[in-house]
Amino acid sequence: MRTKIIFRIAVLSCLFLAAAGVADQRRKDTDLAVVVNPDTPVTNLNVTELRKIFRGERQYWSKNMPVVLLVRAPVSRERDAVVRDICQMTESQFKQYWIARILRAEAVSSPIVVTSSQSANDVVATIPGAITVLDMRDVRPGLKVLRVNNLLPADSGYSISMEHP
Amino acid sequence: MSRLALVSLLILYAGTLRGQETPAQEQSEVVRLLLRKVDALEKRVAELEQKQGEQTVAAPDDGGAAPKTGDAASDPTAAPARAGTAMDEHDHASANPASEERYPSLRIRGFGDINFSATDNRTQHSGFNMRQFTLHLASPLSKKITYFGEIALTAQPTSFSVELERSLIRYDYDDYFKISFGRYHTPVNYWNTAFHHGLWLQTTISRPDMIQFGGAFLPVHFVGVLAEGSIPSGALGLAYDAGVGNGRGPNLLRPGDTGDVNSNRAWLANLYARPPKLDGLQVGGSVYQDKINPGKGADFQELITAAHVIWNKESPEFLAEFANVRHRNLITSQTFNNQAFYIQLAYRLPGEARPWKPYYRYDYIFTPANEPVFGLLDVERSTLGVRYDISDLAAFKAEYRNTRQPNKSRVNGLFLQTSFTF
Repeated sequence: MRTKIIFRIAVLSCLFLAAAGVADQRRKDTDLAVVVNPDTPVTNLNVTELRKIFRGERQYWSKNMPVVLLVRAPVSRERDAVVRDICQMTESQFKQYWIARILRAEAVSSPIVVTSSQSANDVVATIPGAITVLDMRDVRPGLKVLRVNNLLPADSGYSISMEHP
Repeated sequence: MSRLALVSLLILYAGTLRGQETPAQEQSEVVRLLLRKVDALEKRVAELEQKQGEQTVAAPDDGGAAPKTGDAASDPTAAPARAGTAMDEHDHASANPASEERYPSLRIRGFGDINFSATDNRTQHSGFNMRQFTLHLASPLSKKITYFGEIALTAQPTSFSVELERSLIRYDYDDYFKISFGRYHTPVNYWNTAFHHGLWLQTTISRPDMIQFGGAFLPVHFVGVLAEGSIPSGALGLAYDAGVGNGRGPNLLRPGDTGDVNSNRAWLANLYARPPKLDGLQVGGSVYQDKINPGKGADFQELITAAHVIWNKESPEFLAEFANVRHRNLITSQTFNNQAFYIQLAYRLPGEARPWKPYYRYDYIFTPANEPVFGLLDVERSTLGVRYDISDLAAFKAEYRNTRQPNKSRVNGLFLQTSFTF
């Protein structure tokens, strides 16, 4: 009787651990695409250039085309990737950083916040110079996806991704 | 069998407990899932709209391939952002991004602070004070022209004084050349431009002695024209400021707001490097020259040379600045060199203690004997304190200061402040 119970406990434990393992495996990285308005005169950026852009240090694509920054609302994974991986800041630091830039007269406003990938697609398509970061599966055909370090999303070695449940 | 049921219940209960360990994470996860759901629904709406033939198919751009060639495609011109889906980070801008094209578009941000001080100097009053209430104004006037303003209300014994701290209009040619006209924070000192009236932004309660409000050592404001921009310099990350203006007014503490007191323009140049590979580092130096009339029977040439080394990551934070102010009597050619520096160290604690940031600063000012312009400004001060961030937009600070000045007894003081932005 005792052996039977121990066996059942062992089976249940194995099932529980296996289920937990499957759940963990479902959490995988999804590449993010750096998307710009089709008129933007750039096709490739390195990570340092991307950081300068999302920190507002580079404000012009060309003489007549200002950079228009779009970021997703807080808590979204795309925003986490922009704030943490590209800008190398925490959410608080990112907020404080933009307030400081405005105080120093280095920027008029902080990045425009978009609450969904659909609206991010819409705004990037509409505003010349707009740039954002989107889940690669959400990018609408017709928008320009930039290469990062000469790589496109899904290429081996592509460096911008988010953990996806 | 009942034991088996008991074991199963225990496993399930353990799983539930595990889930309850981090409610904030769970909440974030729910929000993320909801956002994902919103995305999926929006995609579905777009598909339905496309099926109804309301949108035209856009050809992929040569500049970069979309990684997914889904069925949905839209005409950018027919797809303005939905109202309420795009807004400024701090909700100052209109919800519709199309408004980015409307000018002017005034945005206002405020800074405030409430202070308490008590020292063992019996000539100073202890108690609460309101210090400053500051409003920053920013408004794009066109795609390349922007206005910035700053108004400060400062507590005085009988009322609040109102001061136009900054008022400037800037034209951006590109990232390498921006030119502005107006009243600035003089870019001859890092602290003066990085924090100025935004006391919430600075780690400490007070500014360094060399750039104190109401201090004479460095000119805090500057009226004139200023060019600024980055310099193509690869790994160095160079940038510059260069300006010409009225210089100090008849009162050395103020710029020449109504004109140049001696018709002799001041000029300044500031060069600094922010190497991208050393994120957080800024190293720079500046030069400022003016002819001043302190009203003591002689004109003086003032030459300021300054340098700074900044590591603005918070763990650790390191700020160090040095300035030499040389006054040369234009009649006797006698020169006087005044020096000041400060070193500030701070460290944002990790993990749960992250809101806490202890700090220490050492300030030093030296003025030579018989200095004809400043008089005696010598001071040596140690400041030890801690900052606690109540939220992303407000902080408590507490600091102890020990101050030594020649021919005066040492002063110990306790200072408290809550500072915030709104």
